[in-house]
Amino acid sequence: MTKDIEKLSAWYDGEISQEDFDKGLENLESNPESKKILHQYAILSELMQRKSKPQVSKLAQLKDYLPQKNPWLTNAFTAAATVLITIMVLYQVDSDRFGSDEASQMQLTSALLSQEAKDLLISADQNIMDHMIHIMQSNQQHEPSSIPKEMIPVGFMPSAKNPSRYTNGNNNLYFHIENKQLGIKKVKYFKANNNWIYLVPLNDGRLLTAYGDVPPELASKMIRSLN
Amino acid sequence: MGNLTGDEMLVNEIKAGNALAFEAMVIKYQPKLLSSLIAYTKSHDQAEELCQKTFIRVWQKIDTFRGDSALFTWIYRIGINLAKNDFASSYAKSKKKTDPLDVSEHDISSHISPEVDLIGKEAEGIIFTFIETLDIDLKTAFILRELEGRSYDEIAKIMKCPIGTVRSRIFRARQIILEFMTQENLLND
Repeated sequence: MTKDIEKLSAWYDGEISQEDFDKGLENLESNPESKKILHQYAILSELMQRKSKPQVSKLAQLKDYLPQKNPWLTNAFTAAATVLITIMVLYQVDSDRFGSDEASQMQLTSALLSQEAKDLLISADQNIMDHMIHIMQSNQQHEPSSIPKEMIPVGFMPSAKNPSRYTNGNNNLYFHIENKQLGIKKVKYFKANNNWIYLVPLNDGRLLTAYGDVPPELASKMIRSLN
Repeated sequence: MGNLTGDEMLVNEIKAGNALAFEAMVIKYQPKLLSSLIAYTKSHDQAEELCQKTFIRVWQKIDTFRGDSALFTWIYRIGINLAKNDFASSYAKSKKKTDPLDVSEHDISSHISPEVDLIGKEAEGIIFTFIETLDIDLKTAFILRELEGRSYDEIAKIMKCPIGTVRSRIFRARQIILEFMTQENLLND
């Protein structure tokens, strides 16, 4: 009996062969007690998840993160009473243009007292928000050697003080490369006052995230060259 | 171990129309989803209703799940989207009536720390304190699995022991914790 429950525990964790998986399913059908135990394991997992990930509003995380982890973003964020984040979807069909889809523009204000802002935030793309927060929280820039040269906008080079930051003397840019594209099919960028975050799905299935105070006019060459 | 993960095997069975596999998936993820939805809606009843709707949608849409994300992430997104739709429709209704929006129900900041949980805060503390008293090997294996989401293989490497021992330690930790929760009346069902 104990061995059977031990198998159920491994079944719950998905640490089993296809054959044991099938047997586990049969066991669930014939033994209602197994379902009860499985449910208890699930409750225990949920409880442990609470310990591992305290739930915090995504907006609060983003708002709290930016001034703390990206000092060079601080001024813009703290100077403005209301921070505007604009999500734009860029058309890639017309390569001569670097225009934005007006219809898809959505402005999110982080003024917490605004009900409208909350409504808009709720309807914002969950994938994008998750990714933004992931990028901001991880704060692990790639080493310069891991960023292919063709991804760097013309005129930018690693900063002498911080090699993970690229600069043209006036503007700064950081990079991340993710192995998943998170459902992002078109280039998207966010504008937060004078700062920009570009999400560029690469042809090899990865996602390039570039962020800094580089406006689309400057970043456009980089984005065009990648797709 | 086979090449497929447990969730991949589960999804394959559900796609093949195996209702028992679907039930197993509901048992496995319902507490986690319900907890997330309670946190989102601040209403146990609303969360339960959304939870049911979510799993119905999962059953209907399982063929569209390509495995780009973890199974629970996909389920969670469906649940949250349904919650958003619920919110949008209740917001539209409230606007039509020109009544002020009920801020206590829809305030995002109120989602930060859920007051309603499947297991209450007090019980949570008691259980976590008990887990601290577990034998170090059982506790380590259990925490690496549940808190860090490590595979048995990874845990075996970290703990320098065979996979079979990891499996046994995780099982025993679960068994001891659940026995404690039952004795202390901390498990509702």
